[in-house]
Amino acid sequence: MYMMTENMETVRISPEKLNKKLDNIIEELVRENFEGRLVNGALTILVTDVENVGGGKMVHGDGGVYQKVKFNALVTKPEIQEVIEGSVCDVLSFGAFVRFGALDGLVHISQVTDDRINFDSGNKKLVGKSTKNELKIEDTVRARIVTLSLNERSPRESRIGLTMRQNGMGKLEWIEESRKKPEEKKEKKAEKKKKKVKK
Amino acid sequence: MGVPIQRCMIMKYTRFEKAAIIGARALQISMGAPVLIKVPKKITDPLQISMLELKKDAMPITVKREEA
Repeated sequence: MYMMTENMETVRISPEKLNKKLDNIIEELVRENFEGRLVNGALTILVTDVENVGGGKMVHGDGGVYQKVKFNALVTKPEIQEVIEGSVCDVLSFGAFVRFGALDGLVHISQVTDDRINFDSGNKKLVGKSTKNELKIEDTVRARIVTLSLNERSPRESRIGLTMRQNGMGKLEWIEESRKKPEEKKEKKAEKKKKKVKK
Repeated sequence: MGVPIQRCMIMKYTRFEKAAIIGARALQISMGAPVLIKVPKKITDPLQISMLELKKDAMPITVKREEA
């Protein structure tokens, strides 16, 4: 889920940066300190409208100036049970990585479809054994977040587990097909009935 | 009365406050902060520069006193 949040934080302005304009330094420092940071399960993507609040403060024994700042941040917070839509960015023997917004999640090979799945290493594809459904790089899929282990120290090491083994999940084309199928069956049944009536 | 009103005249600092300000500013200067006054070439010591700044009322630091 994406959110716009209002934040109040303190940044340290080091003395050698004091020759620049305050607004510019603050914006630069806030960007540096908070963009790409993972705090309380929310990843900050962008900071805007950085404002300084009051004057800076100095601490005994440190030449830096501590400045209170107010800013708006665009954050993304993945939550368990959340349905996401993204594109497949890599296919490996154990599953497919799906990129949704700023994050990557893994759909394990057992969670792709109800069908048994073979990995085609030459073409980097996952192929269903009986349905022959294919999943390859750059396919758009819909999936649900089932496990979350976010690493605040290094957001890149966070693991997000996804599943596509539920109704209305999977590659968008599969979803459309599965929607069409019941209608086709109905049509066929209707035709059969007509034939019987004729007989 | 041709003397301009200085900040330390409006708010007279105690000797302790002066020491704290000068020390803090000297540390800033020593860490690379820009100097706000013209300094004679022979003065290179951050502490001396800091004292000069206070004298010329160019000190960018003020004291926040606790309300007594």
